[in-house]
Amino acid sequence: MFYQTPLKTAAILLLLTAALVYSLVAGFFGLEVLTEVAILVIVAIALDLVAGYGGMISLCHGALFGVGAYAFASATVLLGWDASIGLALAILTACLFAWVIGAITARTHGIFFIMATLAFGQMGYAYVFESRTFGGDDGLPGVPRLDLSGLGIDLNDSFNFALLCVALATVAYLLAAALLRSGFGRTLVGIRSNELRMRALGLPVWRHKAAAFAISGALAGLAGALAAQHTMFVSPGLLHWTLSGELLIMVILGGLGTLVGAVVGAGLLVFLKHEVARFTEHWHLVVGLVLIAVVLGGGRGLYGQAEHLWERRQAARKAATAAKETPEHA
Amino acid sequence: MTADLSFWAIQALNALQLSMLLFLLSVGLTVIFGLMHFVNLAHGSLYALGAFVGVTAAGLAGSYWAAFVAAPLVVMLVGILLYLTLIRRLRSAGPMNQVLVTFGLIFVFLDVFSIGWGDIALGLAEPELFSGRTEIFGIVYPTYRLFVIGVGLAVLGILAVIVSRTQVGAVIRAGVDNDAMAACVGINVERVFFWAFCVGCALAGLAGVVAAPVLSVTTDMGTAILIPTLIVVVIGGLGSLKGAIVGSLMIGFVQTFGAVLAPELAAILIYALLAGVLILRPAGLFPARG
Amino acid sequence: MRVLRGSLMAAVLLTATPTLAQAEDYTVGLLLPYSGVYAALGEEIDSGFTLALEQRAGEIPEAEITIVREDTEVKPPIALSKTRKLVLQDEVDVLVGVVSSGVLGAMRDFVHQSGTPLIVANAGNDDATGKRGSPYITRLSFSNSQVSRPMGPWMAEQGIESVFTLAPDYAAGHQMINAFTEAFEDAGGKVVGQDFTPFQNTKDFGPYLTTARASGADAIFAFYAGGEAISFVKQYESFGLAEDVPLHGTGFLTSSLYVESQGSAAEGVITSLHYAPAIATAENQAFVEAFSAAHGRLPSEYAVQGYDAGQALVEAIKSGATDRASLATALSEVQFTSPRGPVAIDPATNNIVQNIYIYKTVAGDAGMTQKILGVVEAVRDPAQSAQAVQ
Repeated sequence: MFYQTPLKTAAILLLLTAALVYSLVAGFFGLEVLTEVAILVIVAIALDLVAGYGGMISLCHGALFGVGAYAFASATVLLGWDASIGLALAILTACLFAWVIGAITARTHGIFFIMATLAFGQMGYAYVFESRTFGGDDGLPGVPRLDLSGLGIDLNDSFNFALLCVALATVAYLLAAALLRSGFGRTLVGIRSNELRMRALGLPVWRHKAAAFAISGALAGLAGALAAQHTMFVSPGLLHWTLSGELLIMVILGGLGTLVGAVVGAGLLVFLKHEVARFTEHWHLVVGLVLIAVVLGGGRGLYGQAEHLWERRQAARKAATAAKETPEHA
Repeated sequence: MTADLSFWAIQALNALQLSMLLFLLSVGLTVIFGLMHFVNLAHGSLYALGAFVGVTAAGLAGSYWAAFVAAPLVVMLVGILLYLTLIRRLRSAGPMNQVLVTFGLIFVFLDVFSIGWGDIALGLAEPELFSGRTEIFGIVYPTYRLFVIGVGLAVLGILAVIVSRTQVGAVIRAGVDNDAMAACVGINVERVFFWAFCVGCALAGLAGVVAAPVLSVTTDMGTAILIPTLIVVVIGGLGSLKGAIVGSLMIGFVQTFGAVLAPELAAILIYALLAGVLILRPAGLFPARG
Repeated sequence: MRVLRGSLMAAVLLTATPTLAQAEDYTVGLLLPYSGVYAALGEEIDSGFTLALEQRAGEIPEAEITIVREDTEVKPPIALSKTRKLVLQDEVDVLVGVVSSGVLGAMRDFVHQSGTPLIVANAGNDDATGKRGSPYITRLSFSNSQVSRPMGPWMAEQGIESVFTLAPDYAAGHQMINAFTEAFEDAGGKVVGQDFTPFQNTKDFGPYLTTARASGADAIFAFYAGGEAISFVKQYESFGLAEDVPLHGTGFLTSSLYVESQGSAAEGVITSLHYAPAIATAENQAFVEAFSAAHGRLPSEYAVQGYDAGQALVEAIKSGATDRASLATALSEVQFTSPRGPVAIDPATNNIVQNIYIYKTVAGDAGMTQKILGVVEAVRDPAQSAQAVQ
């Protein structure tokens, strides 16, 4: 069950402050990295929504992200539509694609679900890679950014674009948190804990799972549209399963099923990679060892471990107060 | 297209050869999956390690056969090391932690290969004994590919006998079916796990050294083979020898004949097959546990 | 070990003569894949580039060149981020590198709009010096159709009437095959069949090779590179196709970078390329010696591309170019004698004009070498009308 605990609020506020401070002091490349993190945070939150709370460990979120990016690029570059329509189309397309995958794979579980989502993601990748319409492996260049000049904001400026992405990542978190607190979110967690019981209660389980997957897909599509605008270019690599794998690593690294963990994991993995890569081209080795160390050091992910310790202390304090109060009443 | 019968016979042998390579890899993975419920994503890296060790061993000893012996052994030793340091601890840590750790291992191996053997693609020469071509049933076919098929069939035969006819096989089947119950009736499940893991690793190393003369040896060969292997395991059903055989044959034949009959769909076919199987049979074709 | 890479500054301090007051500073952004599937190519180009700067430092005594290295990881979005960083943060005067055409496609608009000169040291996509060309992009490597086109008439002249083509299913594969097919059919030949194999996803070429043989073609024309080239050539040999359908292709098939891994399987393969270590000129012999002394093996075409990228930069500096604009102009006018023969830049496309060598890979005294069968001199690409010189 999801609760917006004080620890979660504190962590999010802290991360947000860190992002804002960083955006002010960072050089040009720092802003690029911050933008990358903010975009990945949105997909990671989307993934944690279904994986952490719905038990649907998806290996196709890279593809959903890529579908959003390609929908945005196709609408703006190939059809010449306005970027705002492109954004709506990206969210819608990814949402629809996710709903179909979610509906078809709803009967599979565990590793079978992982592999089924992988299959659909890879089919999308192979299609885009070979499609001449979408530029094949060359990708599509010349993707424009949203035009917010009406509000006096020039998104071609890295600083403004980074802030927009951070703002949208915050909105994504708030949306996900609100959804999880709603009846829908509680049902989703119920399905994860005991699907048979939920089915026995007469709940159309597959419809719920597909809907959750669709919402998650819409968020991934939003992130994809941002990524297309960030690089002003889309290429098939966006849909590849390795990106889905990295997203899963981010969520687990931060702490699966905590929502904040997704944010922490995305930020940590990207920064770790860039920082290590400054010193050695063998950054895979270092990142790999860190992943192993995190599991050996507790196995709940970084934020997950922190939350676990905090909750235990809360419980202990409550128990202590209860114990103190009992004699007086006795 | 070609109505020539020998054309189709050669393509069938191509398919069988690919199937046997996939079988060597997937059988180890499926047993580890089925028996230990352990998600070993680094299985492909062990396969690549087999190929790299093979290149070095063949270079040192000047013979392919040195590689053929050394690769499975070294990979098994590395497997034992991994088991003792990491995998035993992770047995109860849940699938997500296993994914994270074995993904970390993929990263580590990637750079170990790059540092140890360089980034330039390598090759391993096929053994003199099996170089050239052989004529069977009026078809001329590369001898080494026949050897690959032979190794696959031999491993398949040995495993089939062990699993179905021996006490060890009965213990493994019991472990896959219900490990808690197996432990209750006095089977040392942990030891069975250990040996199954070792054999799985050795087979991955064997697959690597057998595949190396046909393919090139590159740092990313392990990650490239991981997905097809997982697909075989999942199509067949976790922990089932029969599943690994059927899954390997399906993927091998679909990939080969897809390349011939529908080349523009070649990249999509195995994923379509996977999706199709899972929609109809959400737990694979031969689920080992009821 | 090659640690301390990435954005670490590796300053090549060239002995500045104290008497000359106005020493010019140049910052070079070297954008190459140092990790990922093309890491070996990145290293090779880097080696060639640094060798050229070391060797020719004396010619530009007042120039002080600083190199900033960035890893593209062969991922277009990452490469673009790194490009922006090099241009906006490090304020480089010139960019050098780019192995993958996908990466070049991602960078193109930004490079063009920011007016930063880019010396392409590999990426062969025809469009980069064609309909997506730019006055700021100068290519010192090759274009895909430039290396494969000369093989068409040459094979027709050898009496080969029909060909089966094979290549990976991606842009470079299609461009190489299309240019060859057009030239071969213009010369009277016929392409009787073609297959495009899933890119970086094909382990077993058996099914395709069997189809190629069954097609009854006189020869095979193929393009593969790296790991795929090793697998392809070895599998071709193991099927015993050499007598029925001799293997032809572009020289990446048997690049000296990995021809030793193919061993005897590569013997007899006939390919066309802009470089072979066996080219018998004084320039090439000196280059091969210098490279072998430093790295203990023969240079590949990738090393030459890096080397010539370095030479072009030195030539441009020598001509008096000091900033981005003047470097871009100077780069598009360079001509010099490279290990691969005389080279110049085609003003119509900004692509290199160079010799294409047709050679057979043969066993030599110390490993595999090449026997040059023919040279097509000063090969240039046809200018594409839609060239975007805005």
